[in-house]
Amino acid sequence: MIFTDIITFLGRFHPLVVHLPIGFLLMAAVFNVLSYFPNYRFLKDAMSFTLLAGFLSALAACILGYLLSQSGEYDPEVLSQHRLSGILLAILGGILWSMTTGFYSRFMMISRKIVTALCILLVILTAYTGHQGGTLTHGSDYLSLETLTYQVREKPAKAEDALIFEDVILPMLERRCQGCHQKGKRKGRLIVGSYAQLMKGGKHGPVLEPGKPEESELYRRITLDPGHEDFMPTDGKTPLTKLETEMIRWWIENADASEGRKLLDVKGYEKMTPLVASLLKLPGARPLPEIGTTTMRAVNAAIPPKTDMAAVNILRQKGLTVRVMLHDPVMLDVTMPAKSGVAMRDIEKELSIVAGNVIWLNVSDNNLTEKDLEILKQMNNLEKLRLEKNPVGDNIVDLLEPLQYLESVNLNETLLTNSGMSRLRSHSSLRRVYSWKTSVTETK
Amino acid sequence: MSFMPHSHDEEFRLNTPDAEAFNRKLDRRRFLLKTSLGLGALATGSLLGMKGLSGDKSPSLLPTDVNSTEEAMLAAIPHIAPRAKRVVYLFMAGGPSQFETFDYKPALLNLAGQDLPDSIRKGQRLTGMSASQATLPVVPSIYKFQQYGQSRTWVSELLPHTARVIDDLCLIKSLHSEAINHDPAITFFQTGNQLAGRPSIGSWISYGLGSDNQNLPTFIVLVSKNAQLDQPLYARLWGNGFLPTRHQGVQFRSGKDPVLFLNNPDGYDGTDRKEMLDYLSKLNQLQNDLYGDPEIENRIAQYEMAFRMQTSVPNVVDMSNEPQEVFDMYGPGSRDPGTYAANCLLARKLLEKDVKFVQLYHQGWDQHAGLPKNIARQCRDTDQATAALVKDLKRRGLLEDTLVVWGGEFGRTVYSQGKLTATDYGRDHHPRCFSMWMAGAGVKPGFSYGETDDFSYNIVKDPVHVHDFQATLMHLMGIDHERLIYKFQGRRFRLTDVHGKVVSAVLA
Repeated sequence: MIFTDIITFLGRFHPLVVHLPIGFLLMAAVFNVLSYFPNYRFLKDAMSFTLLAGFLSALAACILGYLLSQSGEYDPEVLSQHRLSGILLAILGGILWSMTTGFYSRFMMISRKIVTALCILLVILTAYTGHQGGTLTHGSDYLSLETLTYQVREKPAKAEDALIFEDVILPMLERRCQGCHQKGKRKGRLIVGSYAQLMKGGKHGPVLEPGKPEESELYRRITLDPGHEDFMPTDGKTPLTKLETEMIRWWIENADASEGRKLLDVKGYEKMTPLVASLLKLPGARPLPEIGTTTMRAVNAAIPPKTDMAAVNILRQKGLTVRVMLHDPVMLDVTMPAKSGVAMRDIEKELSIVAGNVIWLNVSDNNLTEKDLEILKQMNNLEKLRLEKNPVGDNIVDLLEPLQYLESVNLNETLLTNSGMSRLRSHSSLRRVYSWKTSVTETK
Repeated sequence: MSFMPHSHDEEFRLNTPDAEAFNRKLDRRRFLLKTSLGLGALATGSLLGMKGLSGDKSPSLLPTDVNSTEEAMLAAIPHIAPRAKRVVYLFMAGGPSQFETFDYKPALLNLAGQDLPDSIRKGQRLTGMSASQATLPVVPSIYKFQQYGQSRTWVSELLPHTARVIDDLCLIKSLHSEAINHDPAITFFQTGNQLAGRPSIGSWISYGLGSDNQNLPTFIVLVSKNAQLDQPLYARLWGNGFLPTRHQGVQFRSGKDPVLFLNNPDGYDGTDRKEMLDYLSKLNQLQNDLYGDPEIENRIAQYEMAFRMQTSVPNVVDMSNEPQEVFDMYGPGSRDPGTYAANCLLARKLLEKDVKFVQLYHQGWDQHAGLPKNIARQCRDTDQATAALVKDLKRRGLLEDTLVVWGGEFGRTVYSQGKLTATDYGRDHHPRCFSMWMAGAGVKPGFSYGETDDFSYNIVKDPVHVHDFQATLMHLMGIDHERLIYKFQGRRFRLTDVHGKVVSAVLA
């Protein structure tokens, strides 16, 4: 374990050390050129040492680079080119150095022109190797001519102001498709980089049919069964989500698959704003449940997305069981164990911090009265409440009435009477009241 | 060499020849710990520490990230807002006949005794038990059906009590399985695979969701003692498979003492038990530090659980506080620990304590011959208590967040196995369709789903595969069955393997 770490550790010196051979070797080439001028003729003698330093540092860079390559986090194709050219560069540096030592001059004449030619080759090789290395570290688009013309689009402040294609669709496609459909690869002769390229299409022609999503090759491919041969993205790469394909469908159908159009300008845009806001991750946007999964029950939008986990942990320390029912938004199921002896006033502070996130609450069998339960008023997103086996009576209804999401309340073995029950009947959201072993004679 | 007692300041040093290897290991460990304070180690340590700061949990490039992926996967649960908090699964082992229980087929009355048409059988391979029969005579249920409840659901006269709670049940008549024999079929139902070795549903739930009651096991199994033991049950049906052992189902014995050896032995008052266990836990912890076997952690957890069960189990199995009315409701046998009725009552008590997964097994449903008599007995033994459990949970408000499941591993054939007489017949195994029901949290009450043909031989509408059922159960508990994954021996495993679709039509 430690051994592997040393390998990584040393390997990470490669980007540092690699600048030494670049410097030394280029310097040697510069010396070579300058030595043609009479004023700088003396530099010719410095070449030997500079080349030796370049050769040795290139060797070191090769070794460290090899160690670094073991981490396996690099594009193997570029890596192998970089490795090959790096090794060649070190060898060339070594050859050039040996030419300057007079080692060869014993059996052959080394013309100055050959040294100069090799120096030019050296410079080219250095530039190539360096660029490959930069590509490995920063990515192929870091230093390219497109950087000159590239324009960053500012994220719109409001979903309504977003340009449908430029702000929403294109980034989505780039993220999921550009791995293969880019200049370098052009799978299916399609490039997904701009509107014009999409309209030009691939080997089967344009991939978009304005107004007709079902006939658009792009939409058809991304909505097939993932097992289908034509499904995109292929090879098990992350597919677009249902929300994303839905967005694309709407764009083709309602916005004629056009570019440069604001969401606001398309008829019926209102129902798309939450989706666009969510896709753009605009502040305040709520991640939406997947469309088409009817199994997903709509989650009450009023629940705060986050909660104070520190308060939750204090509640746990104080003896309550707090179960996270959902992470986004945070839904809590809070249980005070039966006969826990926990005093309500000791936990009131923390409960009120998380009140909006409490969806299920069970405080049964804890000898609580209405006075202890004032906190319920703050739990405005409560859906299920268990109060059984507590000495609460009809006045509890006052606390329950403001809870507009309350679905069921368990008042078994309490002091509830018919009058409390009849008031609960008119509760707006309450559907089930349990009143077993009370004096209540009618049920709900 | 003079004898000199070797003194150590450490708590643990076992000065016996047997423990020599252990002591040496300890010594080496201590040596390494101490030298790691040296300059070189300090440098390495700071480097590792730096990586830690940059958010990378593991200090190594070796594939030790297994645990953190696992943790990340567990931290994402629940994936869906759960509707059920607990499950009680009433497993009717042997394969109850759908014909005499829930799948009413009046058309069969006119066809009684006729050979099963090929257009229905479609060349299906039968079991060796009936494949050689000269004829496959169709046999209708000898028992009558009637419609019950507001949902006007047809229920057999064998299940009068269940019929009375039918409006609380969500009946699925289109279950189908892949296995035609008991062991593969029951293993398939409980673990998602026909071959033994995978974790059972309860273990997956325990692994994924953890416990709501630290004093009782998360997954408890009760096996009826009053059933006819026709087909065996194996502990692996509630086994943890490759999941950590603390997630396996804990079987409570069917007797007065559901968990053995919880009482202190004679002459020992138990006052220093906690101290003893703390010491043992330290020893185990030491062992764990040396060998890193995750099973040691499980062992520590199990010892501590057993200690807590010394008080929690006698408490939960104590029936003295239950009024007579409750015993009357669950029916005869409910006072006799270990019977199906008593197990149903115990299950309710366990669920009240927030035990997450309670599984009951009742054997004896494998009626190849003498079905009319035997199924009547089976129903008599289970019907009242089953209905009582639903009713009891409902009035206590527990059906709000408890899911009740009733069903076997497959159904039975429309044709009679063996001789068909006016009063007697048998039915062979039939995996192509059978009935089950669920009740409570998150499922539609008073609802029937799926249809079979007139012979209850093939499904004609809304088939529900075993994996679909499992996916639905997980969904109700808040788990996306496709995202609860455990990597074992290089392969990623799921309860539903690569199958299963949530049956959204049955969700309330």
